[in-house]
Amino acid sequence: MPRKCEICHDARAILRRPKTGQRICNECFFYVFETEVHNTIVESKLFKRGDRVGIGASGGKDSTVLAHIMKTLNERHAYGLELFLLSVDEGIAGYRDDSLETVKRNKTQYALPLLIVSYEQLYGWSMDAIVETVGRKNNCTFCGVFRRQALDRGALMLDLDHIVTGHNADDVAETILMNLFRGDIPRLGRCTEIVTTGDGFIPRSKPFKYAYEKEIVMYAYLKRLDYFSTECTYSPNAYRGYAREFLKDLESVRSTAILDIIHSGEAMRVASSVQLPTPAQCERCGYLSSNALCKACVLLEGLERGLPKLGIDRSARQAQQIIAADSANADPVVRAVEPVHFERLRQKALAMRERRLNGSDTAHPQSSACAGCADSCCNPDSNDNDKDVCACMSDTTA
Amino acid sequence: MCDSSSDAPCSGSQPTIDPTKYERKRVPGMCVKCKVAKPNVTIRRSLYCKECFVRTCIVKFRTATNRSRKSTTTPRTKLMVALSGGPSSSAMLSMMADFQRMHIKGTAAQPLYDDVVAGHVDESALFPEVKESLIADIAESAGVKFMSAKLEGIFADNGEASAFAKTVDEAAGVSQEVKDRIYARLVKSGANISSKERLKAFFAGLTTDTDREEMLDVLKSLLLVRLARKEECGVLLMGDSGTRIATKIVSLASRGRGFSLPFEVGAESTWFSDVAVYRPMRDFIMKEIGFFNRWTAQKTVVVPTFTTAAPARASIGRLTEAFVVGLDQDFSSTVSTIGRTMQKLEPQKRARDALPCLLCGLPVEHNAQEWKSRLTVNRSSDAAALPYPSRSTDPTDRCSENNGQTAADVTRLLCYSCQSIVHSAAPGTVFPGANASSYRNSHEDLRRQIEMFFIDNDE
Repeated sequence: MPRKCEICHDARAILRRPKTGQRICNECFFYVFETEVHNTIVESKLFKRGDRVGIGASGGKDSTVLAHIMKTLNERHAYGLELFLLSVDEGIAGYRDDSLETVKRNKTQYALPLLIVSYEQLYGWSMDAIVETVGRKNNCTFCGVFRRQALDRGALMLDLDHIVTGHNADDVAETILMNLFRGDIPRLGRCTEIVTTGDGFIPRSKPFKYAYEKEIVMYAYLKRLDYFSTECTYSPNAYRGYAREFLKDLESVRSTAILDIIHSGEAMRVASSVQLPTPAQCERCGYLSSNALCKACVLLEGLERGLPKLGIDRSARQAQQIIAADSANADPVVRAVEPVHFERLRQKALAMRERRLNGSDTAHPQSSACAGCADSCCNPDSNDNDKDVCACMSDTTA
Repeated sequence: MCDSSSDAPCSGSQPTIDPTKYERKRVPGMCVKCKVAKPNVTIRRSLYCKECFVRTCIVKFRTATNRSRKSTTTPRTKLMVALSGGPSSSAMLSMMADFQRMHIKGTAAQPLYDDVVAGHVDESALFPEVKESLIADIAESAGVKFMSAKLEGIFADNGEASAFAKTVDEAAGVSQEVKDRIYARLVKSGANISSKERLKAFFAGLTTDTDREEMLDVLKSLLLVRLARKEECGVLLMGDSGTRIATKIVSLASRGRGFSLPFEVGAESTWFSDVAVYRPMRDFIMKEIGFFNRWTAQKTVVVPTFTTAAPARASIGRLTEAFVVGLDQDFSSTVSTIGRTMQKLEPQKRARDALPCLLCGLPVEHNAQEWKSRLTVNRSSDAAALPYPSRSTDPTDRCSENNGQTAADVTRLLCYSCQSIVHSAAPGTVFPGANASSYRNSHEDLRRQIEMFFIDNDE
């Protein structure tokens, strides 16, 4: 005799929910999943009416489902948000270019404006070029540090109030375990917060913090959402792999273990006697940093000089000293692309905001006005049909 | 493996000091301490000869004990050493007895503690293969008095209501909200069923080995504290080695015990206000203890548990142990790093004043059940944003002694992790009550008297 769904007691149960083990029908599954995300958003008071929110879109399952759910909940509960898709092109052939095609399809499917920023455009180095210089061992550090800054730069180009990323419960639990194993106290204190701030100004949050990865996959599968799923070509050697393997085993012993780890992580408190790094601003680019130079600038400097280990091994102070000593020289290193200073980006964003509030209404994505600066006189770049912003946004020259 | 961006001091920036006659350079291939004998063992990449190694262990133990003693202000009192018979606690017992004797010998020196006794929990009701007499022998050869408490003693009648039985209404008409709560009724310990039977029925009512291991640990700790209290010992030494502590930290975090974690693995814990718990073996890894026992001819026994010799996925505790030990082989400082991480965490402010859990005696976090139900929607009603349930902080929510048959809502009296144990246990299982409120009463009463004078930091 077929079982009835345990929630509605009406339809036939077709799946067992990974989080709780309940046997439910697919309509109830959509309902509980969407309601939990809605509860997370409401409880943590993530947004306010009128916020411009950028969805970090990689084309993978987390960000596709995130885009779908944000759009659904925004309409259903009238959050009053303006949603944008923000994507980062790291320049990994065979992986990123495929997933970007998916993001472009998402743009059409969800009718959301899209901005793509690339490492090549922002820093002058693509990941493929970086791996050729650095090797395969520490490249995840470069990618992660650059991506964080790239998202913030993209957000300023669009004058966003908030960024959301698709980090799920499995990611957060893995991060807690990883920080515990490595003794990374400052990160352990921060990693369970649902809202953090990258550059000190634009908050970024994780609405999927309590959603299991398996449920996200199930949602995407049942709703037949379009997403791209392979592993990054450079990923196998990361330390996170150990934490992930342990977490998978834990989940098979007890399915609530993931939420339990997050609960424990939230309860941990760093002792007040421990000194935490004080936030300051990078001297070169104005990004949030605990040292004189932010990590991205240190890594870039290493790449430019052909010292790929600069900023990777432990001699952080030596790295700062080398750079400080050499910048006092007469002829500093000349490079093709100098990252734009964050103050300039912020001023531009402020100017855009004033124009938007005082002048004409915000442009529709389909019209010929630029979605970013709302300036009707600058036309979208006709060669690049996939960007809805004109060349003013890609301006990286100082 | 600390992050490279954290500004760790590099040795290159310090000025070089000329070695004085007191510092001699290491002689490669020889013991790092005496530099003349051939080494017998490598510990954390340093070579030691037999004598120097044993001496180093003893010095390390004494330093740890002194540090704990100085950081908690307890007047001089009796000390109890928790002895399971395993390698770690046996080594601890002989070192502690030795330390105490050393102090007494000198004429001017004061004895460290009034007396040193060994406390043991007799688990033969669950694991009859262990020979209790061997453990008594270990205590005897260390020259300390041996006190033993039976595990089933947790159900013994001591005049107060000490056990509660889970009741679950499996009728179809029960609403989902009721299913989230836990109901229990008081059980009077009667003469018709022996404590031993009750203990066995309790462990049989728990559904997974993870739950059983957790409950066994909890009961042993509670019994040891009770034993220390009975013997009027103000200090209890627990023999958790560094490896065991690292495993415990990960395992407790995986079960949702982050709130009470600092009290369960901290170097010094004063949660039980009249008994301070120290863990002086936290700097020793299992390899060191093994070699120490071998070279001091220390007698030990094997202490079995539910997942001894079981495959790795039998329980969370077993899985974590396999993982942490394996990880330590690839990244050799994992165990010590995890231990050091623990030392930099402290309990939340709310934890110190929290109510003790009915089952395990450790602090109960506020709104644990609400946290879980907000994140795990399991009903179809249109309650989109679940409203906060009304707070009932009335301690008389507990079962009253007169009316032992009414089922009361005990959800708020259980910590997060114990809630999931009771949820998954079979209905009708009789749980032992921790009676920890009697340990905490004095502190709570004091606080209530002066509550009005405290300035809330949120104001």
